[in-house]
Amino acid sequence: MLEEEQVAFFLASRLITRGNKGTILLTIMIIAMVFVNLIFLPSIIAGIVVLFNQQNIDYSYGNLVIEPRENQLVITNVAELQQKINRVPGVVASTPRYTGAATIVSKGKSTTPLLIAINPDDEKQVLKIHTKIISGDYLNDGDTGQILIGTTLAGNKDQKVDRTPTLGGVDVGKTVEVTFRNGVTRQYRIKGIIASGQFSVDSSAFITRKELESVLGTTDTANQILVKTKTTGNEDAMRITLMQYGIQEKIWTWQDKSADFLKSIVGSFDIINVISTIVSLVIAVVVIFIVIFINTVYRRKQIGILQAIGIDRSIIIKSYIFQALFIFASGTVAGCALLFVLLQYLTASPLVFPGGPVAPVLETMLVVRAIASLLVVSLIAGFLPSWLTTREDILSAIRG
Amino acid sequence: MIVGSNLRRVYGKGSVEVRALDGVDISIRKGEFVGITGASGSGKSTLLHLLGLLDRPTSGSLVIDGVEVASLNERQRTLFRLNRLGYVFQDYALVPELTAEENIYLPSKVRGMTSRECTRVCRDILGLVGLRERVSFLPGELSGGEQQRVAIARALVNNPAILLADEPCANLDTRNSTTILELIRKLNKDLNQTVVMVSHEDWHKKYFDRIISMRDGKILTDGNQENILITEPG
Repeated sequence: MLEEEQVAFFLASRLITRGNKGTILLTIMIIAMVFVNLIFLPSIIAGIVVLFNQQNIDYSYGNLVIEPRENQLVITNVAELQQKINRVPGVVASTPRYTGAATIVSKGKSTTPLLIAINPDDEKQVLKIHTKIISGDYLNDGDTGQILIGTTLAGNKDQKVDRTPTLGGVDVGKTVEVTFRNGVTRQYRIKGIIASGQFSVDSSAFITRKELESVLGTTDTANQILVKTKTTGNEDAMRITLMQYGIQEKIWTWQDKSADFLKSIVGSFDIINVISTIVSLVIAVVVIFIVIFINTVYRRKQIGILQAIGIDRSIIIKSYIFQALFIFASGTVAGCALLFVLLQYLTASPLVFPGGPVAPVLETMLVVRAIASLLVVSLIAGFLPSWLTTREDILSAIRG
Repeated sequence: MIVGSNLRRVYGKGSVEVRALDGVDISIRKGEFVGITGASGSGKSTLLHLLGLLDRPTSGSLVIDGVEVASLNERQRTLFRLNRLGYVFQDYALVPELTAEENIYLPSKVRGMTSRECTRVCRDILGLVGLRERVSFLPGELSGGEQQRVAIARALVNNPAILLADEPCANLDTRNSTTILELIRKLNKDLNQTVVMVSHEDWHKKYFDRIISMRDGKILTDGNQENILITEPG
């Protein structure tokens, strides 16, 4: 059998090296493009998912989210619990929050965003919102009468630009009126504007816990404690550790919290991805098939003669499969080179999405899947035309 | 060597039925140089295609080198062609991307020779047909006569029992035709190579030991040189 493969390889190598180089090069380039297309879009989608995940960790949840126990609305004795959490090995810091809706009014414009009460110094240890102040300043622990507004909530002077209810383009230093759920209304000076790139943050408002407790008349309560851990990726283990250290509140990982949102995004991208992959593979099949088919039709007489002088059809078929494999291998290598250049460029100059810069993320499985798909396609496209041509009656083939 | 009995080859059916061979009996001994002649459509090429296992008879029996070839399956027929038959085509039929040596190398390699053995045999046989200096030339770089000599070398590389030639001089001028015919004749004499050659040129007849003349799918005459009147070219 090995003799057959040697002869088929010999024949294929000569047909490639001494055949029409322009056609071969063009086909290789098309396969390279298909390869890039198979990987590029999914890698951008993976980059977007990575961005969203990182944003969720950096701006919304930290690594873990601790919420009130079953049938309880708030966490009490927050300071004590926070100390307990912070002593658990693997925990970097924690920050208590009190979130709820409130109505904010500015110059007749009224909206009801999420109002988040925070300990600003603790927040800095867990989240990165403080790095995203685009105007004014971040809150301090002792601040009262001051509020941070997300850029989406602040809105634009030209409200046609806004897609959600906003405050109509408020600026730092201006005063807004906040009405809490218990009916208390207070005036707040806008201390800073946040632009994190994450919609849920940029459409919220922030005051200090001290301020909110004065409004609600509570002390040492929260309805969330966000926890930052030393490493990302071992949240499930950290949840168990916290439970082992006696934390009886509900503990969620950031993945739990963002699951529905991410599922919906990834699901939508997956549909685009599948369509793009199928189209790319069909193009690859058609191109390789046409090239090999034209090649075999053009060499129909030659194939007949090879059979007439005793070359078995299996050798001829294999020689065409080898040619297809060569096109596949060269196309894949060229595709890898193109992809490398493209990824280098996009890593240096990431695509700018509403959520932030997106650099493509190349996953090994994605590359393996693209190579495997192209390999199968090449084998089919190499086999089918040569198999059809060699099935023909020898004399008919020789007569052309 | 070759025994064909009542060979028939019919194309088409009903009113469009064509009897390309119509009950041909043929017997060829080892070492004979047999020429098959006849007008276009006489059935000479059809007979050669049957002898070369490129086609199957509609009916009749054909035994070549002791094997009833009608009973062979496709793979066995391919192997039979590889090991026991050498076929020379009218238009040389070389693979244009392979050099002279590589064209000959192909069937010898398929037969299982080592690469070194193949190279030696190829060089020897190219020497035999007078093309030792042309081993690395592509067919496009060779003249028609040289290409046909390469084709003959390819046909002989596996030391076949029978060399079949289908109008090998049809595309050659008289000088090159003479070279080819003399080469085949020399191989027939020196190597005791059985040769069956189809030709429609009258002057080729002087090279044949025996001439089978065909008309309308039947053998018209079958005799040796002494019985044949030969007209020289020009």
